[in-house]
Amino acid sequence: MVCIRKATMDDLLAMQACNLLCLPENYQMKYYLYHILSWPQLLYVAEDYNGRIAGYVLAKMDEESNECHGHITSLSVLRTHRKLGLATKHMSAAQAAMEQVFGAEYVSLHVRKSNRAAFNLYTQTLGYKIHDVEAKYYADGEDAYDMRKQLKAKQSHQHSHHHHHHHGGGCCSGEARSTQVTQTRGDSKMETKTSTKSNSKAG
Amino acid sequence: MASKFGLAGGIPERRVRPIWDAIDSRQFKNALKITTTLLSKHHNSPYALALKALILERMGKPDEALSVCLNAKELLYKNESLLMDDLTLSTLQIVFQRLDHLELATSCYEHACGKFPNNLELMMGLFNCYVREYSFVKQQQTAIKMYKLVGEERFLLWAVCSIQLQVLCGNGGEKLLLLAEGLLKKHVASHGLHEPEALIVYFSILEQQTKYGDALDILGGKLGSLLIVEVDKLRIQGKLLARAGDYAAAANVYQKILELCGDDWEAFLHYLGCLFEDDSSWSCETINASINSPKFVECKLAHLTDEVFNSCVENASAFVQKLQAETSNDSLRNPYLAHLEIERRKCLFRKNNDDGVIEVLLQYYSRFGHLACFTSDIEAFLQVLSQEKKIEFLDKLMKNSSSLSAVPTKALGQSITLLKTQELIGNMFRLSVAELEGSAVQMAELYCKNIPLSKDLDPQESMHGEELLSIACNVLVQLFWRTRDLGYFIEAIMVLEFGLAIKRYAWQHKILLLHLYSYFGALSLAYERYKSLDVKNILMETVSHHILPQMLASPLWADLSNLLKDYLKFMDDHFRESADLTFLAYRHRNYSKVIEFVQFKERLQHSNQYLVVRVEAPILQLKQNADNIEEEESILESLKCGIDFVELSNEIGSKSLIFNEDFQSRPWWTPTTEINYLLGPFEGISYYPKENLTKERETSVRGLVERKSLLPRMIYLSIQSASVLFKDSSDTNGSLADHKTSLELKSLLERYAKLLGFSLNDAIDVVMGVSRGLKTYEVFGSDVIDWLNFAVFFNAWSLNSNEFGQHEGKRTPVSWQLVNSLLENYVLSKLRSMGPLIQSPQGDLPKLVQAVTEPLAWHGVVIQSCVRSCVPSGKKKKKSGSTGQSISLLSHAVRDAIQSLCSILEEIVRWSQDQIKSPEDNKIDILVSSLKTNGQNGGPGHVFHILETLASSPNETELGNWISQALRAWSPVDVGRKIITGQSRVLSEFCRICESKIKALKSLKQQIAQV
Repeated sequence: MVCIRKATMDDLLAMQACNLLCLPENYQMKYYLYHILSWPQLLYVAEDYNGRIAGYVLAKMDEESNECHGHITSLSVLRTHRKLGLATKHMSAAQAAMEQVFGAEYVSLHVRKSNRAAFNLYTQTLGYKIHDVEAKYYADGEDAYDMRKQLKAKQSHQHSHHHHHHHGGGCCSGEARSTQVTQTRGDSKMETKTSTKSNSKAG
Repeated sequence: MASKFGLAGGIPERRVRPIWDAIDSRQFKNALKITTTLLSKHHNSPYALALKALILERMGKPDEALSVCLNAKELLYKNESLLMDDLTLSTLQIVFQRLDHLELATSCYEHACGKFPNNLELMMGLFNCYVREYSFVKQQQTAIKMYKLVGEERFLLWAVCSIQLQVLCGNGGEKLLLLAEGLLKKHVASHGLHEPEALIVYFSILEQQTKYGDALDILGGKLGSLLIVEVDKLRIQGKLLARAGDYAAAANVYQKILELCGDDWEAFLHYLGCLFEDDSSWSCETINASINSPKFVECKLAHLTDEVFNSCVENASAFVQKLQAETSNDSLRNPYLAHLEIERRKCLFRKNNDDGVIEVLLQYYSRFGHLACFTSDIEAFLQVLSQEKKIEFLDKLMKNSSSLSAVPTKALGQSITLLKTQELIGNMFRLSVAELEGSAVQMAELYCKNIPLSKDLDPQESMHGEELLSIACNVLVQLFWRTRDLGYFIEAIMVLEFGLAIKRYAWQHKILLLHLYSYFGALSLAYERYKSLDVKNILMETVSHHILPQMLASPLWADLSNLLKDYLKFMDDHFRESADLTFLAYRHRNYSKVIEFVQFKERLQHSNQYLVVRVEAPILQLKQNADNIEEEESILESLKCGIDFVELSNEIGSKSLIFNEDFQSRPWWTPTTEINYLLGPFEGISYYPKENLTKERETSVRGLVERKSLLPRMIYLSIQSASVLFKDSSDTNGSLADHKTSLELKSLLERYAKLLGFSLNDAIDVVMGVSRGLKTYEVFGSDVIDWLNFAVFFNAWSLNSNEFGQHEGKRTPVSWQLVNSLLENYVLSKLRSMGPLIQSPQGDLPKLVQAVTEPLAWHGVVIQSCVRSCVPSGKKKKKSGSTGQSISLLSHAVRDAIQSLCSILEEIVRWSQDQIKSPEDNKIDILVSSLKTNGQNGGPGHVFHILETLASSPNETELGNWISQALRAWSPVDVGRKIITGQSRVLSEFCRICESKIKALKSLKQQIAQV
């Protein structure tokens, strides 16, 4: 593929169309916005020769667990652009960014049990292993494999001092980054949850 | 600060916790109960009041919530000793925001910050309030205060972002950038920078001021190490060098990028740009580019001498060859496309390199011809060839086709590519009818032959060769356009339905079907197909163009209303929420995303579709309530009598419109919402590449919205105008108001006429001419509905005007007759010329529906207003003298008008009922018999026959279980039945609308008979 590059806001229009054409799943737009505004380093699109978006990967850093790790939220490639190694490139780009920018130790993802093509990609090409099975994970009642891949988190890479600094010493989450000021609201989280919950954070 | 002592807003936390738990579990009544108890102890606690307001708002009591909030706010302001904590304020803020009173939340924070000037937490809250209001200047001031207070980098960047927003989205001058640069420079000197995003913002500030050299110095210095990913850094470096004019150094950087990422096409284009010292690849960074419009690479070569050009090409070719040699991965297309691009530039420079381009295209086919993306890859390169040369390329490609790959899926891919390339070049329009039929048959055969390849696929995966059915459909629709033989049209539907029966996820089949069903008058079925695409969120902005225009001219009001409501809800919710999300980017220090996000919001706000829907939604309400004048008036009242829409119409000329629709997915016969080739006679067209019609569309959308947004006000004024007729003339105040109404309606008529391209008097002459048969309806062109509207409002105005309609001191019914005959002749001639839907696709049905639901409906409203004012209510005494005479004249005119409308509507009802009642089996026969081949070679039905043969005896071992099952379940008669039901539903809805109007008119007739 041409240009695997970081996504911009304007790509969103084409990215969602891409999803319509590839995936039965279709996330709330807020969810995309939440990702792109929180971890723009982890959102890549494949731009084709004629300027069309041919695929994307959406990923995030886990905010809740103690181990710093990334999570692949959505991976999508236009069917006209299958078998070009795009999915692999997207995954590699996102994984590299998780490791280099956020120092992630491992990366996780969910995949439909029935989606053999994707399962093969994750296990055979990308080296993911089944960590667990989540029953009825999908809206239509299908189970998901919870898969993980260990990232070779370098103990110290050349920019670790920056990295350490700008994450306020915490793991990946944006929330940890703004700890200097008292946190009374879980802002970074509020956007994905219902507004009831977000408001309750104020309490 | 309050929570330090286990206090929340001055109240012990343990007492507040149960309230939040109850809210969390949506037990609002319980939450309210606990809060009430809490308030009895802490009756002056603003926090407890804020909680109560929050709960009330959740319970759907906005008015009570607001008053409690205001009470809390007052307490906060009044009592100096009270705590002024962020918790209380942020809770209040949430409620105020949900009540659409952002300004009240802001003033609370402003007050608090005034009281505690050094409280960072409160200042952040205030900053957040300004973010929500998009008050960039105040954001900047607040951020600077925070920066001065604690000296943190992020607050400086918040301020810098706020400055950039003033320049990019507000009305801040570019000088502000100098201020931002100064702030950054000073901070860097004393503290350095720690965030990569801060550096990116710094660069963009410098770039905007064309200070590329300064940016390069910074990148080369210590700060450059903030950028962790090597190629990201190189990309910035290359761009800065090129923009600074150091092309040689930039070309080196791009070479490095390409060595690291062999498939970075953009880097290759920049590389070529640098070699040729051409900056056009950087100047095309426009924000408003419509989505998915193919980007044809612009380049300037004229400034080069032959010698320089040759040496550049030599260098580039050597580098590309090296890249090709180093590529071990066969799926890497970039080095091969790079070769094509070099040949293309040669062609552009020398104008005689067609053969070179063709040669490399053929090589590209032999390597990548099996890929589905082949045709879209080569589209831009074909552009440099003349039509003859394109055909020459195609001929050579066809010769190659004898040597297909030995791998079946690859061979299939290559065959599909050949067909798609034919489409791309427009070759399908050169073929004869017989050749086209032959190629459609071949596609069906190829499809059937390759079905077994898909037998092991997951249900969600696309079938091999699925595209063949879409291409076959395209060919069949063209055959229909050429021959007008409905059989081809029905065959196209069957082919796609067959594909969907096997794979229900094939979205491109659904989209094609949606358009075929719309054209066939089975709009409810088209809407079903649209709904099955599961269009939501931002897709409503990019995809709903497939169905929205047809729905706007349809009688399916309930579905249309849902469509409009869902769309508006999505857009308005997004605008409401997007400010909150912007703050997320600030908080996560993704500063460049702050700017992008605000620009994205503006992009949606300027959406042409958003504008259209905002006007069409109230017009739909007016249509729905037109049979009852009281309800119509209350709708108008809720629309402020249409005043805002008139303003919208005034402003539209100065507004920039953005087109976010994705037209790539539209079928060839309707490349935009305004064009449908099937409605006109056959002509050769080249639908690739789809022309960029944005300019034309912009003009047409502007015109449409300008006219439509005048309607609510004109309806309102027409009601006034028709109802003042018989007021007592001694009421001077009244007549003054009448005079104003008349003047305003006249000025709107003038505008309306002007939008149709005429002066008021000329427009009146035109409608008079047509109504008297001196001119034909052709003079109205495609704006016939607008002209009929004009005539209706003109009549309403003449009722109350001295300028027109008075003859020898008496009001004459000239303008009434004008409207009667215009509507009658128009509708009746349409009815006469239209065959039953099942035999002839929709034709003029949408126009007919529009004529009834718009001009005829508005005319009905005018009549209702007349009747209401001239039917004596209560003890009013009968008017005498000349007033009496004109009443009788008018009541005659109104009676005639009612009679005329009734007869029009009855005619439509008869026409529709005839079709609805005709037996379904007859209709099925019509559909099925059009597909019979009768043993002939030519004509429709052959493709269908191939698919039928496959479905009649599926070979389970060959096709696998699920495909065989799907084939056995396939039923063309069911498809036919669905079409018939769909058409009947549209007709029934239309009938229902007409019948309701007839009923209303008949009751008016009785009332007026008493006069």
